[in-house]
Amino acid sequence: MAEKEKEKWGIANVYSSFNNTIITVTDITGAETISQWSGGKVVRADRQESSPFAAMEAASRAADDVKEKGIVGLHIKVRAPGGNGPRTPGPGAQATIRALARAGIRIGKIEDVTPIPHDGTGRPGGKRGRRV
Amino acid sequence: MPTTEYLKIPRDRVGVLIGKNGEVKQHIEKLTQTYLDIDSEAGTVSINPLEEMEDPLSPWKTRSIVKAIGRGFNPEVALRLIDDDVALDVIKLTEYVGKSKKAIARQKGRIIGRDGITRQIIHEMTGVDMSVYGKTVSLIGELEKLMVAKEAVEMILNGARHKSVYGFLEKKKHDLKLKELQETFHIK
Repeated sequence: MAEKEKEKWGIANVYSSFNNTIITVTDITGAETISQWSGGKVVRADRQESSPFAAMEAASRAADDVKEKGIVGLHIKVRAPGGNGPRTPGPGAQATIRALARAGIRIGKIEDVTPIPHDGTGRPGGKRGRRV
Repeated sequence: MPTTEYLKIPRDRVGVLIGKNGEVKQHIEKLTQTYLDIDSEAGTVSINPLEEMEDPLSPWKTRSIVKAIGRGFNPEVALRLIDDDVALDVIKLTEYVGKSKKAIARQKGRIIGRDGITRQIIHEMTGVDMSVYGKTVSLIGELEKLMVAKEAVEMILNGARHKSVYGFLEKKKHDLKLKELQETFHIK
């Protein structure tokens, strides 16, 4: 990425689970947070936090913050809960990226950074499984 | 920002990905505005987005389509992934039943069922497509329904009887329908 000496780029860390979508925009080093938005900040009902609509809304507001700081493009790191939980990103992930692109931000690399255990702790539920 | 992604698929699936006279490959390239570079010897696929592509998600989607074909789906089903709501999930059988070849073969048989009846029931109840290939079970479907199907497959792998899995699917189908109805009336 040598051609953009003047253009500032950042990283959007998108955590998308089945209960919420959290967008954290940082600078290119990942150390300085520029903007933080989540599904819960834009909708009232708990069950809508993970909806694509909430994700779009959060993403467009994050885009406003980002543009204010003079950043033209974002690399995306998508993450699902991972570990023992589901490893496919939730419904908010695609909506977030779409909304960022629509807000006029250039999208760089899209990467999946879901944590995959190299054999970690056991799944919840115990020997006799989940008893309802 | 064109960036190339790399992916490896089994060698006997390379032919399916390319198709007769490259038809499948061309179709995918056209739909996703990417260029696929396939090494049929090693089975490596590199996905290069074209300069003029509009959708920033297209390399991401192409990746899952190629992966789905590599996991035993036929291209028509894999192209369901073009839709935004549709996702792919790959379950590794070794995580549930260990490394024993016999156990894997047995569980594969249980998931498919006699003449594919279990697979068919899962498909009818949830609308999720399933492919059992090698040491994996892969599912393609809408996110919510995908989770239901995944749970059903997990139940079978953990030793549940087919009867109880069908009961579970029946219940979930009813729940999903109810939820859909509620949402349409609340929001609109």
